[in-house]
Amino acid sequence: MSEVWTMMRKEFAELRGNRRFLLVFLIAVLAMGFIPSLTYAHHHARLGAIGVIFLALYVPFAAVIVVANTAPDLVLHERVGHTLDYLLTTRLSDRAIFGAKVVTAFLVGYVAAMLAVGVQLLAVAALSHNGLHWLYLAVPSARIIVFGVTAGASLYVAVIGTFVALRVGEQRAAYMVTILSVGLLAVPFIVGWIHLSLTTQGIGRDAEWLAFIAVALNVIGLRLFRRDMLVLYLQE
Amino acid sequence: MDSDAIECVGVARKFGVRNAVSDLNLAVPRGSVFGFLGPNGAGKTTTVRMLVGMLRPSAGTIRVLGHDPRAEGDWIRAHAGVMLDNVGLYDRLSAEQNLEFAARVARLSPAEGRRRLEAQLRRVDLWDRRRDRVSGFSKGMRQKLGLARALIAEPELLILDEPTAGLDPSNIVMVRELLVSLAEESGRTIFLCTHLLAEAQRICDQVAIIQQGKILATGDPHRLGGQGLPTVRLTLTGVGAETINQLVLPEPVRLESLGGREWRAVVAAEEDVETIVRALVAAGVGVRAVIPEQVSLEEEYLRLVGGDSHV
Repeated sequence: MSEVWTMMRKEFAELRGNRRFLLVFLIAVLAMGFIPSLTYAHHHARLGAIGVIFLALYVPFAAVIVVANTAPDLVLHERVGHTLDYLLTTRLSDRAIFGAKVVTAFLVGYVAAMLAVGVQLLAVAALSHNGLHWLYLAVPSARIIVFGVTAGASLYVAVIGTFVALRVGEQRAAYMVTILSVGLLAVPFIVGWIHLSLTTQGIGRDAEWLAFIAVALNVIGLRLFRRDMLVLYLQE
Repeated sequence: MDSDAIECVGVARKFGVRNAVSDLNLAVPRGSVFGFLGPNGAGKTTTVRMLVGMLRPSAGTIRVLGHDPRAEGDWIRAHAGVMLDNVGLYDRLSAEQNLEFAARVARLSPAEGRRRLEAQLRRVDLWDRRRDRVSGFSKGMRQKLGLARALIAEPELLILDEPTAGLDPSNIVMVRELLVSLAEESGRTIFLCTHLLAEAQRICDQVAIIQQGKILATGDPHRLGGQGLPTVRLTLTGVGAETINQLVLPEPVRLESLGGREWRAVVAAEEDVETIVRALVAAGVGVRAVIPEQVSLEEEYLRLVGGDSHV
């Protein structure tokens, strides 16, 4: 566990010095904070139950934007700068190296999403002169989207982004595959394997499945990306 | 405790159908400085990666500090400081942060980590630049910081892969002086893949020359010339080459023409020089000069690797 923490401290120190990350983080928080607030301010009288859930979806979207950029970048930066080779020569375990990257990407995505919620609250308070009253936080299914689905989506994208970047190695391709993986989540609903339910129970179940898939992929990824395999990928 | 820090027996590594390393046999004594020389693509980096358990050998056995890298890679990586040809520093972090991270990876206490960080940064003359981001560092400064990082855990074994690659002459001198000071510290084994043949001859106790994955020669860098036998340079007068070539000399003594009146005598021992001179004088050859010769490591290296001399 201390190895994961050692790696995470390094990752956060690097992110602080990464202007591109800071810009993406800021844009995601502000955009996903202000856009739903403005929508609410102009259309609040016509918003039904679906509209409330639609507004709530901005929050996991903020997380996905940040994580889809951060997770591949945490790996690709190490590949390009040959620091991944250095890490592989140290006593750090493979699990600590990549586990820390997944957790870091997950955390920054989740924090960005929560900050977006904060911006939404402040913006709505300012625009509607109604105090800190934000419609969807009062709806249980929307709360699950904001806190549960956001966590599941962040973890899923963090896992995919990390391991795709380990294998692909090319920045644009890694981002593309990571974003595509988010689109893949819609496939079971589109082909009818899973019935889309907007009830509290239905959304809760979906969030649990998302988290389960993310954890399972993480376990598979850690088993597949052994040190000696990675060296071969780095040589390609 | 094993007497050798590194032992490789019949080690091979294939990438597809290509043999990166084949039948590698090495014995690096503890506390020695071992030079691993060879052209680009000779198999040096692959060997380094196998030594620290980053790559599994296709065949053969490796023992590093008495441990098998396949099964005990973590232990080896904890006890060996490694600097690869691409140093791999975190550009967005300062020199100090890079070493702090290395100290935490080495599981040093904060106080001990701080003490060693300062000692290593002072050793490589980067203490005044400790708060600067590494992205602004020159290639030479990066190499020095890489060395400091490899040393922060005070490892028993230091593996340096091309520490002078891409450096200008002044930086080569700077890194060379660091290597010389490291070599003078007793107890530590240094495995050095290097471009600097003259420096390898100066600081290495033993060297091995590798080409196309195979060891061509190994031994004392001062004795590698003449296939390990001492040589003497002779200036002869009086008779032609044919007469000299017809001389019967005891094995493995032999005379090689260097052109004109200059000859090289390869001998097994100092007494053989006397035997040769007697035989020459008896055949009517005038011996004007007898100079003990030392074939440089560079000459021997070029002789062994032939035209492929890009180290």
